[in-house]
Amino acid sequence: MNVTKKQQRQRTLKDAFLNGLTAFSSMLSVLVLTILLGYVFSKGIGLVNVDLLRNQYWSKSAIVAVEEGTQSGTFERPEDLPKEAVWSEKWGIALIDAVSHEKQALVLVERVDENSVFAATVDTSAGPNQGKSYPVVPGLQVQKIDFTDQQGNANFTGMLASETAEEMVHALDQAVSIRSVFIKTPGGGIRGSLIATLYLIFVSLLFALPIGVASAVYLNEIAKKNRFNGLIRSGIETLTGVPSIVYGLMGVSVLFPITAAFGATTTNILLGSLTLAIILLPTIIRSTEEALLVVPQSLRDASLSLGASETQTIFKITLPCAIPGILTGVLLSIGRIIGESAALIYTMGTFINDSPSLLSQGTSLAVHIWSVMSGEQPNFELACAISILILVFVLILNLTVKLISRRLNKAWY
Amino acid sequence: MENCFEIENLNLYYGEKQALKNLNLSIRKNCVTALIGPSGCGKSTFLRCLNRMNDLIEGCRIEGKIMIQGVDIYDPKTNVVDLRTKVGMVFQRPNPFPMSIFENVAYGPRCQGIKDRRILKEIVENSLKQAALYEEVHDRLHESAMGLSGGQQQRLCIARAIAMEPEVILMDEPTSALDPIATSKIEELIEELKKSYSIIIVTHSMQQASRVSDDTAFFLLGEIVEMDTTRMIFNQPKDKRTEDYITGRFG
Repeated sequence: MNVTKKQQRQRTLKDAFLNGLTAFSSMLSVLVLTILLGYVFSKGIGLVNVDLLRNQYWSKSAIVAVEEGTQSGTFERPEDLPKEAVWSEKWGIALIDAVSHEKQALVLVERVDENSVFAATVDTSAGPNQGKSYPVVPGLQVQKIDFTDQQGNANFTGMLASETAEEMVHALDQAVSIRSVFIKTPGGGIRGSLIATLYLIFVSLLFALPIGVASAVYLNEIAKKNRFNGLIRSGIETLTGVPSIVYGLMGVSVLFPITAAFGATTTNILLGSLTLAIILLPTIIRSTEEALLVVPQSLRDASLSLGASETQTIFKITLPCAIPGILTGVLLSIGRIIGESAALIYTMGTFINDSPSLLSQGTSLAVHIWSVMSGEQPNFELACAISILILVFVLILNLTVKLISRRLNKAWY
Repeated sequence: MENCFEIENLNLYYGEKQALKNLNLSIRKNCVTALIGPSGCGKSTFLRCLNRMNDLIEGCRIEGKIMIQGVDIYDPKTNVVDLRTKVGMVFQRPNPFPMSIFENVAYGPRCQGIKDRRILKEIVENSLKQAALYEEVHDRLHESAMGLSGGQQQRLCIARAIAMEPEVILMDEPTSALDPIATSKIEELIEELKKSYSIIIVTHSMQQASRVSDDTAFFLLGEIVEMDTTRMIFNQPKDKRTEDYITGRFG
């Protein structure tokens, strides 16, 4: 065949263009993902620490009083105290400047000497704890300290007067006696949302897993392969594609009465779990069906030829062999639970609850992000920090899925 | 001599296609009967009729009678689970369950409701001994059966079938996935087993049929061309097609 120089050149050009296009596209997607992850990590990594996981989101205020009679002394500055901390020799307390995740200036307690008056304070706030011991401990925010000065006048110092740690310690040196301290517990933690997310995972799988696995077994192993069952199957497949916000709508209108029967008065975590269970059902049915399909027919034949009934074969051979595949489905479902937000905003509310219970409102981690971002002052740092946690969790889940499916492929033959 | 199976006018259809055509034969008790013939001639299909494994295949329709101990196995009153405890089966590829060797053999009895650990242990040991596998695995009964070699796996499958104390053992090309040494072990085993069980074996190997079987049936296109003692089939076949096949002119 005669190929002219021109034709050859055209082909080389075309090939180069197409190859370049594919390479460019993959570079672009990798770049976008890297930038996204880079942004999330650089913004949020500063906040990721144990306190984030442990702390409550809302800070609690209290006014604690110093007991009569106990007064000042001379306290030596501890040697291991950080340089930035300001030490009050007279009162035995170290204060330090800090910035909250909302970018507000704070004064935190850094250290309290055990013989200091601040270590023996009592709660004066009205409530069941009134009169009980409430010592000032490191980590608390100091809003205001009321004291009596040398002239016998009542005076105060603290963040409410926009004073820094240095200025506060200086003011305290003028004090003759301390009367009371207005303190606040640190906030901004995600402990409540973490607990609510665990509730969600546990309760929704509790409902979705047995029902999903059982229906997959029925559809795949027991039901006759006729047109009606084919219809059910494709129906389930369609359900996987329904946007979750539609499920949320259904949850709040159809399922709410069920939770109300248990005593719920508002949207609640149980309602969210039930809605999620319905969202998960198609996923679990599909992955179980796929797991059942790869169980070799020869094992079923062997079981039947040994005089086992079909039901025995299903529950003693087929289902146990499918467990790794079912587990994969469970892990994928957990990923889905962690990532779900739209359906949960309807069904669980957006109030960040520090002590969630099944019948109270609460937020999952994803809704927590929505919550801190939807206020007048979106909190990017906290949102990114939670995102990092979610990403790490999803990464671990995916690796586990891979590990399990590799094992699954090794199990036979 | 007694017969274990009497087959009368057996026809089998896959949808429209007829796979077995008007089979009439009897199979002798405590003998090894070999079914030979080219691929697709219906010998495996026929074998699977004998313990109703074809029930699972959709569009499969069966006419005629298969009598075992005077009872038609396709009678609606016959319990298929009972039938399969009487007629065991060993498949082409070794297919042990992904569990321990012990559990593999104990599976059948367990499904029948035997729970007593002592009885199960006895059954497992006896079956493994009969299948000439006990010596090789007695110290690792609780390890996975997937770790055995192909030949050992196949003998485990035979042990598993024996554990049900069947009358008949069906073997569907039991050595086609094995090497010659494993094959000869299985053949020796068949020789031993025919004292207690009737064995029906599908095989592609002429030599195997002549070595292990007492009777041979030659299948062609869904029909039985000839059935006789193995010696007669291999030495003085009555039909020209049988002669052509066993001498290797086609197939």
